[in-house]
Amino acid sequence: MNVLKVVDKIILKIEEFILSYAVIIIALMVVGKAIIRETFGYSLPFADEVSQIAVVIATFMGISYAARKGRHISMSAFYDLAPFKARKVLAIFIPFVTAIVLFVLSYYSWLYVMDVRESGRVTSALQMPAFYLYIFIPIGFFLGGIQFLRNMWINIRNREDVYLGTDAKDYNDQDTTEELEGTHL
Amino acid sequence: MIATMLIIMVVLLFLNFPMMIPLMVAPLVIMFIYFPTLDPMILMQQFSTGIEAYVLLAVPLFIFAADIMTTGKTSNRLLDFIGSFIGHIRGGYAVTTAAACTLFGAISGSTQATVVAIGKPMRQRLLKVGYKDSSAMALIINSSDVALLVPPSIGMIIYGLVSGTSVGDLFIAGIIPGVLVFLCFAIYSVIYAKAANIPLANKASWGERLQMTKKALLPLGFPVLIIGGIYTGLFSPTEAAGVSVLYAFILEVIIYRSVHIKDIPKIAKSTGLVTSAVFVLVAGGQAFTWVISFARIPQMITETVLGSDPSAIYVLLMVTIFFFIGCMFVDPIVVILILTPIFYPAAMSAGVDPIHLGVVITFQAALGSATPPFGVDIFTASAVFNKPYLQVIKGTPPYILMMFVISALLIFFEELSLILL
Amino acid sequence: GGSDEGDGSASGDGGETYNWKFVTEEIDGQVQYEYAEEFAKRMNEKTDGAVNIDVYEFGGLGSETDQVEQLQSGTVEMAVMSPGFTGNMVKEGQLFALHFLFPDSVETTQQILNDSEALNTDLRELYEEHSISPLSYWTEGAMQWTSSRAISEPGDFEGLKMRTQTSPLILESYKAYGADPQSMSWGELYTGLDQGTVEGQENPIFFIGDASFHEVQDYMTISNHNNYVAMTTVNTDWYEGLDEDMQSTIDETVEEMQEWVFEEQKKQNEEYLEVIKNDTENPTEIIELTEEQRNAFREKAAPVRDFYREEVSTVDGQILDKLLEEIDSSGQ
Ligand code: NA
Ligand code: NA
Repeated sequence: MNVLKVVDKIILKIEEFILSYAVIIIALMVVGKAIIRETFGYSLPFADEVSQIAVVIATFMGISYAARKGRHISMSAFYDLAPFKARKVLAIFIPFVTAIVLFVLSYYSWLYVMDVRESGRVTSALQMPAFYLYIFIPIGFFLGGIQFLRNMWINIRNREDVYLGTDAKDYNDQDTTEELEGTHL
Repeated sequence: MIATMLIIMVVLLFLNFPMMIPLMVAPLVIMFIYFPTLDPMILMQQFSTGIEAYVLLAVPLFIFAADIMTTGKTSNRLLDFIGSFIGHIRGGYAVTTAAACTLFGAISGSTQATVVAIGKPMRQRLLKVGYKDSSAMALIINSSDVALLVPPSIGMIIYGLVSGTSVGDLFIAGIIPGVLVFLCFAIYSVIYAKAANIPLANKASWGERLQMTKKALLPLGFPVLIIGGIYTGLFSPTEAAGVSVLYAFILEVIIYRSVHIKDIPKIAKSTGLVTSAVFVLVAGGQAFTWVISFARIPQMITETVLGSDPSAIYVLLMVTIFFFIGCMFVDPIVVILILTPIFYPAAMSAGVDPIHLGVVITFQAALGSATPPFGVDIFTASAVFNKPYLQVIKGTPPYILMMFVISALLIFFEELSLILL
Repeated sequence: GGSDEGDGSASGDGGETYNWKFVTEEIDGQVQYEYAEEFAKRMNEKTDGAVNIDVYEFGGLGSETDQVEQLQSGTVEMAVMSPGFTGNMVKEGQLFALHFLFPDSVETTQQILNDSEALNTDLRELYEEHSISPLSYWTEGAMQWTSSRAISEPGDFEGLKMRTQTSPLILESYKAYGADPQSMSWGELYTGLDQGTVEGQENPIFFIGDASFHEVQDYMTISNHNNYVAMTTVNTDWYEGLDEDMQSTIDETVEEMQEWVFEEQKKQNEEYLEVIKNDTENPTEIIELTEEQRNAFREKAAPVRDFYREEVSTVDGQILDKLLEEIDSSGQ
């Protein structure tokens, strides 16, 4: 159990690092390219591609982080109206099915990565094998699936309330709303 | 096939699945059932294609800039500035709210950021001068929707991406409709304040005004930088987003020192989180678009809904209805991702200007998100203000009525969108 | 893996019907799409309605690179593709991006594309390693430059922000003239040119006119610096799984179409040249290069061939060299 907790902590740190620095890299690349172009009249050929790589990595590696935090966008109107028992059942059922879907997607995207690898395709500016980029898709889906299984497990073990994620304890059962991380839902 | 798809989407959505799941499952199931010889790998390819577009880089950047500003002091400076000039007139605080939301909307790309940055502080001030909470919240929700209309706008970036339309042009085209909404809300605020007998606030002296103006001067540079930069061709929309991050950084970290440089990675992390949550939808939306294009579903739907040779106005009216209803239930980004590829070709062959269509769609997205029973902004406000749903929606009808009127104006007078181009 | 014969299925009257998908990189009205529609029509007539081909315009099925992968996996049976979008996989295909490679005459160029063994045998083999069979190569017209300042000699490119694709070879080609190549997405290009974020771009005339780039550019240089070459391609396994009759019907139609598409691109390029000339509201000065001026560009472009041989080619430029011999012996 302790080993698991350590692994979990390491994965969390990696996810946070990736999300944070992907955004910072995108900002540096986009701003850097514009400034260099306007002052030196020279265009950084790799800037766009590096940003796009950062976006793909952040998007797919963010799936599990957003799952952990309970911050995936969903339409909770009907769910919110449901009684506790129904919500509890859904809070077990939904992460379970979601995890399965993510594992299936992880499998197919792994096949896709292998296919791109075989084709030998490289990226246009950096001339780097294109599959290096796509490999984050199956990894992201897989880690996301694990995280949803974990959310399901917490709901099975903890009978008192409904767990949607660390940032989003079901506010139907709460008197206070904690400050949400970031300004957007 | 269309029925299968709709059932999967609606059931999974209403059960409260993360929205990426219906978006990714529907195409997969359609493929298994109707195209069993095809390799599902193709959908994986579309996931990455969906998010690789250069214009999309503007989304994390505008969010990052807004996140830096909401952590810092920008919004308060804007509020004090506007308040010092018009706070004392009848309904002054409400007009200030509408103006500040419009102005902050011209800085940030999203409605939710505006609700948080302007709505939170302004609600307290409105309550203090005697507004009912429900009318304060209705004003905030609806005024914040202007953020989706005036540049920069994440909704417009997504529409531009899906339709291949210039995001820069869309941004410029949203200015007049955005200002129109503000004017309507401002006039209504004055009338409401008179009817509800809201007491007048103290008038600021010219000395105070000068001081507030000085303080707000730098934050006011944002819209100038973004709109001016795009208008003059100094930057592309994506670069404008990058520059606004740089500007926010210079303002909050270097000049005002209200954000410590050590906080930047933490702010970026939350930007990254939001970006990921939005972009998985864009990725799923692209796979969804692929399947419906492959199966030629848009042609089937538009023929049923629009007939064979519809007029431009008829197409726009149908677009309006579909987007309005869609956005009442689902996040506007998802609706734009799904419905644009379906209606865009029909609108083009009916002779609708792609920029005009983009403005009409974005406007419906804004309106639908603020409309009960399920507009997403209502839930945002409910979460941000920690107020029950019913109290949040109580004051919204007058605003929705005004938005309907403007919506009709936008449909019938394309000049309102296109004249600045 | 792809299906062997598209969605071939037995029909009631004893014959077999075929439903194939044909994807293009252009939209309704543009050369590639018109080509595919005409091809579909002819195949349908020749087989008495047994072959039905659905033509897809660009957009719904993803990016050009996606479409290449869809052909490879057999998701679609046929595709018109430009070698530029496969250049990161079949590197040799990038040779079409070399400036001043083909003769000045588009007609002679088309003849070379039809007859070249280097392309129709050697290059095809390289593509077939990736399950793509190019059945023919055809030009969509010569590429021209549009710009915000007059371009008549290489020096005019100095520091010009030229919108191009980002492959190292294309970057190298424009750097050779002293230009500053920039990437910009298609959707932003019109506005980008209008506002001067980029100052020039390259395309065949019909594309320039169709996208109205002339409205926001002051000059168009008839440079004919290269040809926009497209390939009619099929999924290799699918094609080889067809019976011989069907294969020869396809081959025959592909061959007929060479002349048809030459006339189609010629017609479209001529029509749009008139459109651009007659647009008095947005005047565009058209610069025709003299032979001497063309030679000045040609000289600057020549070293890029060595860059291609050394940095791009995986077969030391063998296909390029063979093609150069063929071009030489074409009498130009
Ligand atoms: Na905005
Ligand atoms: Na012109």
